[in-house]
Amino acid sequence: MADLPSGFWSGWIVVVTIASLLTLAWLVLSVYFSADASDAHASEHEPVWDEDLREGNSAPPLWWFWLLFGAMIFSVIYLMLYPGLGAFRGMLGWSQHGRLDGSYAEFDQQFEAARTTIVTSSLGDLQGDAELMATAERLFNRNCSACHGEDGGGQANLFPNLMDAEWQWGATPEQIEQSIRMGRNATMPAWLAPLTEQGVEQVAAYVQTLGTAQATTHPGQVQYSQFCAACHGVDGSGNPMLGAPSLSDDNWLYGDSLDAIRLSIAQGRNGHMPAFNEQLDDAQIKLLVALLTRQ
Amino acid sequence: MSGMSLHKKLEENAGLLIFGILFVSAIGGLVQVLPAILQDSLNTASANARVYNAVELTGRDIYIREGCSVCHSQQVRPLIAEVERYGPYSQAGEFVYDRPFLWGSKRTGPDLHRIGGKYSDDWHRIHLIDPRSVVPRSIMPGYPWLAERDVKTSDIQAKLRALQLLGHPYEQADIDAAPGQLEGMKEIDALIVYLQMLGSFHAEDSADGHSENQSGAH
Repeated sequence: MADLPSGFWSGWIVVVTIASLLTLAWLVLSVYFSADASDAHASEHEPVWDEDLREGNSAPPLWWFWLLFGAMIFSVIYLMLYPGLGAFRGMLGWSQHGRLDGSYAEFDQQFEAARTTIVTSSLGDLQGDAELMATAERLFNRNCSACHGEDGGGQANLFPNLMDAEWQWGATPEQIEQSIRMGRNATMPAWLAPLTEQGVEQVAAYVQTLGTAQATTHPGQVQYSQFCAACHGVDGSGNPMLGAPSLSDDNWLYGDSLDAIRLSIAQGRNGHMPAFNEQLDDAQIKLLVALLTRQ
Repeated sequence: MSGMSLHKKLEENAGLLIFGILFVSAIGGLVQVLPAILQDSLNTASANARVYNAVELTGRDIYIREGCSVCHSQQVRPLIAEVERYGPYSQAGEFVYDRPFLWGSKRTGPDLHRIGGKYSDDWHRIHLIDPRSVVPRSIMPGYPWLAERDVKTSDIQAKLRALQLLGHPYEQADIDAAPGQLEGMKEIDALIVYLQMLGSFHAEDSADGHSENQSGAH
């Protein structure tokens, strides 16, 4: 936060503010209580309307005076209590970040017990608590649904389904927590250059047969073992340590069409899950893990 | 001299009346605006602030052109609800290289000052082209043309030179390299780069020492 004005500008603000207030007070008082208000019509040069209507021959309503007077009193009290007069912080010591700290102190006090309970409970206990799971769903909605969908079912052939059994980066609570906390970066390189277009075609077709009986005899197998097996495994079962998905099941993160598979191989994929460590606290992360590992 | 006679003098002298009106109208500005413009501490860059590079600046101009700031503010206020939702509150030193600043005055959509890094580039691309394909209840319009139009490279050097004149510390090398950095980019690419760097000027250890409560993680 930028600080309050200091030095010359602080003095400037104080002087202009106080001078304005004093001038205003003098102006208001002189209009209402000056001695010559009553004999203003003495001047021969004053215009007169409607026989005797002249400038100043009827005082402004008194409630105007009280309104202005009240506003001035309010200003003086305000400037004494709150920051406003240059570098003077006011007698209450109020500040925006002070108020925020106060809100957080209250917030922490209110939720500390609940947080401690959540952090020390088992996932099973959390999953059995309907109220906490409702909270977890709200957390999911606020932080996760934009990519993974409101139902967690994945979206756009880019963002994984979190409701099925397949977990690209591992299904254990620890692995899921790690994914949420630190994010994940998938790095599947583009294989068009080493494989050539024909190779991409063959490997794509081979990958589709993985997990079936035809796989062993497919011509794409040679190049698959050479280029793909290191991450995805010889049998295509994937490797959660590398975020390499299983290719032998029917789950296709980027789409199950031959075109989509071809595109993945040719251009590579760089799925990115942002880290939520900064945005969520331990209790919130644990609730999300409980929600996601719920059967 | 009393109030009435001064009143009379002012009323009978048009020049004096004009001056008086201008002077009285200016007092608010003299107290609120002038010190804010000239006070150094409000114009000192935060520790992590830096000038926008050519790509970010181009993305920012697209953000302005498409009117993003009409619905999205870029100022997180120092209130707990905002800090919890968006992240650390915005500080003056983060805006010193914003010309003009894009604080906005209305939130039809969420604040974007801390949007950087919250979503992946892929998400932004899909969401900008067709928001409802990832957020079904979104009311944001789609901006599909951004994915088709090439960024304009012809005026980037002039923009950088103009900012240089205003005191932004661009090097000649930055200006020379600028068109090359934009080569082959679509408008959506530049806009995403800009969105992803929003919020990165925030300095954890800024002068007020309240960074602990601003991380949003509690």
